[in-house]
Amino acid sequence: MFSYILQRINYTTIVRVLGWFLLIESLFLIFPAAVSLFFGEYSVMWAFVNTFIITLTAGCVMSYGFPNRFNDESMRKREAILITSTVWIVFSAFGMLPFLFSGVLTSVTDAFFETMSGFTTTGASVLCDVESLPRGIVFWRSMCQWIGGMGIILFTLAVLPMLNFKGGVTLFTSEVTGISHERITPRVSQTAKLLWGIYFTLTIVCFAALMLGPMDWFDSICHAMSTVSTGGFSTKSAGLDYWHDYYSYIVIIVFMAICGINFSLIYLIFAKRNFSLMYKNVIIRCYLAFIVVFSLVIFLRLWTMGFCDNIPESLLDSVFDTVSAITSTGFSTYNYERSGQFIFFLLLFLMFFGGMAGSTSGGAKVDRFVVTFKNLRNEIYRVINPNSVRTVRLTNNRSVPREVVDKVLAFLAIYVFVIITVAILLTAFNMPAFDAMFNSLSAISNIGFGYGEITAGASKFSNIPSVCKWVLALEMMVGRLEIFTVLAIFTRGFWIKR
Amino acid sequence: MKIVIAGAGEVGTHLAKMLSDEEQDITIMDTDPSKLAALDDFNLMTYVGTSVSFMDLAAVNVADADLFIACTPLEARNILACSMAGEAGAKRTVARINNSEYMIKVHRDFFKTKRIDHLIYPEYLAAQEIIQALKCTWARNWYELFNGELIIVGVKIRKNSTLVGNHLRQLGQFSNKMHVSAIKRNHETIIPTGRDVIKENDIVYIATTHDYIDDVAEMCGKKKINAKKVLVMGGGPITEQLLEFACDDYDIKVLEPDRKRCQELADKFPNAAIVFGDPRDSDFLEEEGIDDYDAFVGLLDTSEANILGCLMAKEHGISKTIAQVENLNYFNEAEALNIGTIINKKLLASSRIFQILLDSDPENSKSLALQDAEVAEFVVKEGAKIASTEVMNLGLGNNMTIAGMVRDGEGQLVTGRTRFKAGDHVVIFCLQGALREAEKKFKEHKGLLSFLE
Repeated sequence: MFSYILQRINYTTIVRVLGWFLLIESLFLIFPAAVSLFFGEYSVMWAFVNTFIITLTAGCVMSYGFPNRFNDESMRKREAILITSTVWIVFSAFGMLPFLFSGVLTSVTDAFFETMSGFTTTGASVLCDVESLPRGIVFWRSMCQWIGGMGIILFTLAVLPMLNFKGGVTLFTSEVTGISHERITPRVSQTAKLLWGIYFTLTIVCFAALMLGPMDWFDSICHAMSTVSTGGFSTKSAGLDYWHDYYSYIVIIVFMAICGINFSLIYLIFAKRNFSLMYKNVIIRCYLAFIVVFSLVIFLRLWTMGFCDNIPESLLDSVFDTVSAITSTGFSTYNYERSGQFIFFLLLFLMFFGGMAGSTSGGAKVDRFVVTFKNLRNEIYRVINPNSVRTVRLTNNRSVPREVVDKVLAFLAIYVFVIITVAILLTAFNMPAFDAMFNSLSAISNIGFGYGEITAGASKFSNIPSVCKWVLALEMMVGRLEIFTVLAIFTRGFWIKR
Repeated sequence: MKIVIAGAGEVGTHLAKMLSDEEQDITIMDTDPSKLAALDDFNLMTYVGTSVSFMDLAAVNVADADLFIACTPLEARNILACSMAGEAGAKRTVARINNSEYMIKVHRDFFKTKRIDHLIYPEYLAAQEIIQALKCTWARNWYELFNGELIIVGVKIRKNSTLVGNHLRQLGQFSNKMHVSAIKRNHETIIPTGRDVIKENDIVYIATTHDYIDDVAEMCGKKKINAKKVLVMGGGPITEQLLEFACDDYDIKVLEPDRKRCQELADKFPNAAIVFGDPRDSDFLEEEGIDDYDAFVGLLDTSEANILGCLMAKEHGISKTIAQVENLNYFNEAEALNIGTIINKKLLASSRIFQILLDSDPENSKSLALQDAEVAEFVVKEGAKIASTEVMNLGLGNNMTIAGMVRDGEGQLVTGRTRFKAGDHVVIFCLQGALREAEKKFKEHKGLLSFLE
C-alpha cells in the first residue's frame, strides 16, 4: 500500500493574498471604464463597471473573509511559489471578463488567451480588426500589458505594506526575471517602488514624445504602454504602418531599446548618473552590440537583395525589426515572412534570447547568452589546457559562481525542452512543424508574432484550435515567470512529503 | 534607519535578521558569498566585499548610513572599517572588539577621535552577565538600570511560590513593589494583562526597585544562595574575561581540555586554578571535587556540551548552573531543561545594538538578552504625546508594556494612573518587532488639537 503525507500548505494565506491582488486589479479597471465613458461607449463602460464590481467583491471576500492571522510563518516557499503562479491565472481570469461582457469575444478560450497574452506582454492577439473594437477594450488590452510588464506582484509589493517582509522577498524573487536577484535597496518594497517609479516615468515620457508626432492622445497612451512594457498590442490592425511616420518609429525604437535594459541598471545609469556603467557592464554592451550588428546585417541583406528602394526607410525598418525582436515587443513594420528566411532566422535568434534580465522584455535573456558563451569559451580553452581554472566574468571584479553557471545552462536546456514539448503538442493538432516551433517560441519568449499558413490577416492566432490556445496561454505564463517557479509546482516533492 | 553591517558571522547575521524584522534598512556585506546566500530570503540587501575597502564601502552607500556595525572576527579590521566608514560619512559606528583594554574610559577618547563611536565586546558582555548571575543566583536574568535604581529580574516560578495560580489583578496589593512585565510560557513570551494567571514553570519578568528585591525573591519562593566556589568548563575568551573581572571575588576553577591553552591562562591569571583535562568526563569532574562547588559555568565551544555539562552538574547537586548556548534553536530546550542562566553572545550583542539604535547611552544600562523580546529605555521629551495622558489611556497594545521608570534619578514603578513628565526615563518591555512601534509612540508629538487645549 502506498501512503502519502501531503505537504502542509497554508491555503488561506494564498487565498488572502490573491484577494489583495484582485483588489488592486479592480482599481486598474477604473481606467478603461473612464476611457469608455469618455468616448461614449456606454455598453462597454458597463462591462468594465460590472467587472470592477465582481473583482472588488471577490477581492474583499477573499482577503477579509478568513479569520487568519497573517505572519511570517504562514507564507513560506511553497505558498509564495503558488501565489506567484496562480496570481497570473487569477488576474487573467478576471481581466478577461470585459471582453466577454462587452461581446467583443464570445468564447472563454479566446478571452483568456487574449488577456494572458496581454498580462505576459506577449501581444499575440485573436482579434482581427482592431479598428472596429471599442476604444475601452483597446485601452484595456494595452493596460494589461502595462500592468504585466513590470509585474503584478512587484506593483503590489510597492503599494501594500503588508508584504514588506520575508514572504514578500520570496514573491519578489520568483517574479522578477534574471539569474541573480540583486536588489538596489535594502527593503524589497523600496526596490519595488523604485522600479515602478522608473517604469512609470518612462511611460509618461514615451507618451509625451509620441504626442508630439501624428498620433492622438489615445493612440499615444496605448502605444506608450505597450512599448514600455515591450508588449506589442497596437491600436490599429496595420500597426505603426498606419501612421507611417519616421518620428514615431524612432521614438518607439528608443523606448523599446531602453526597456530591454535591466531596470536596476537604468536607475544606476540615469538616476545616479553612473554613465560609465554603459560600457563597463558586459551585458549591456552585448545587448547594444546585438542591436547594432543585427540591424546592419539585416539592412545589408535587404540592400543586396534589392529590396531597398528607399534607403533611410529600409535602415529604419531593419533597426525597428531588430529592436522589436530582441525586446520581444513584436511590433512589426512590414511582413517579416516575406523578407526571406535568412532575415527571419536572424530575428528568431534575437527572439530566443530577448533583452536583459530585470527588464520588461521576454526571452531567455541576454545575460544567459553571455554566461553560456563565456562558459563555452572556457570549455573550449580547457580542451587544450585541461588543468586550467577559468571563471566566467560579467563585470571586471566579480566572477559568476559555478552554481550560477550550472543554473543558467539548466535553464537554457529546460527552455528549449519546453519549446519543443509544446511544439509537439501543437503538431498533434495539425499545425506544420515549423509553425508549431515558431509559435511555441513566440509564446514562451512573450513576443507575440504568429507564423503559419492557417493564419490569415493580422491575427494569426484566431484560427488555431482552442486546446492549443490554452496550451500557448499557459506557456506564455511559464515563460514570463522564467519556468522554474511554475515547474516546481508540478514536481512530486512540492505536494507530497514522502 | 539605514544600517550597514560588515561581517556576516554569527553576530552579524543575527543582527541583520533582527533589525530587518524591526523594519530597518539593512545592508550586510561579507567577503564570503556563501555566508550571504543564507540571508537571500530576508528583506535586506547583501553585498560581497570587504569592509576595509574604500570601493566596497562606497558601493554599500556607507555615506548615507545612520549606523555602521563592523562585526567581523578580526578586531583590527573592525576598528579600521569603522574609522573608514565614519570618515566616509556614516553617522555612528560600532566596532566589535576582542580586547577589554579598549573598553577602559581613558582609551575611549582615542577611538572617538578616530570616528569609532561605540565598541561592542560580546565576550565581555557575556562575562558581565555571568558575574551578575553569580551575584543573584535565584534569578535567571537580571537587568539593571541607572546603577540599580530599576531592576528587571527573570525568575522561573516553582510550586512553592505564592504567585502561582493568582490572577495578576489579585497581586494588586504588591503593585507598588513589583510589576509583572512579561511571562515566558511554552517557548512564547506574552505581555500579561490583569486577567492572566501565573502558572508553575513560567518564567516571569518582574520589574522592581532595589528596596523590594528581597520581597520579590521571597514571593517567588527563592532563597538567596551565596555562590563562592565556581567551576568553569572550558577556557575560551569568555572565561578569560570572567577571570579578569571575577578572579578576586570568587574561587574559580577552570577545566580546559587543551594543554597549551591551560598554560596561557595560567600565565595570565596566577590566582586562578587552571586544570588540564576533559571536562566532559564525569570521573574527572568528580576528581576535581564538583560536589563542593556552588555554581557551574559551561563555556565550551559547543552548545550541546555546555547543556549536558550543566545537567551533569545538577546531578551533583550544584544549584546554580550557567551555560553558553550559541545555537539559538537550543535556547528554548535549554531553558526547559532548567539550566539556571543561558548566555548567548549574539543576543547580548544585538541587545546592545538596540540600545545604541534607540539613542540611549548604552554604557549605563545592562542589557537583557532575551530571545524574542527586548527591553528598551526611552527618555520622555518635552511635548511628547506619551506625556499627554495617563498610562492607562495610552493604548499600548498587547505587545509592549511599561516596566517602570526613573524620575529624578529614582526608580519607580508605573501604575495605570501614572502620568509621565518630560525627562522621565521609561523602561519598555516589548516583544520582538514592536520596538519600532514603541519608538514611534515616544517620538510622536502631541497633535495640534491637544496643543490648543
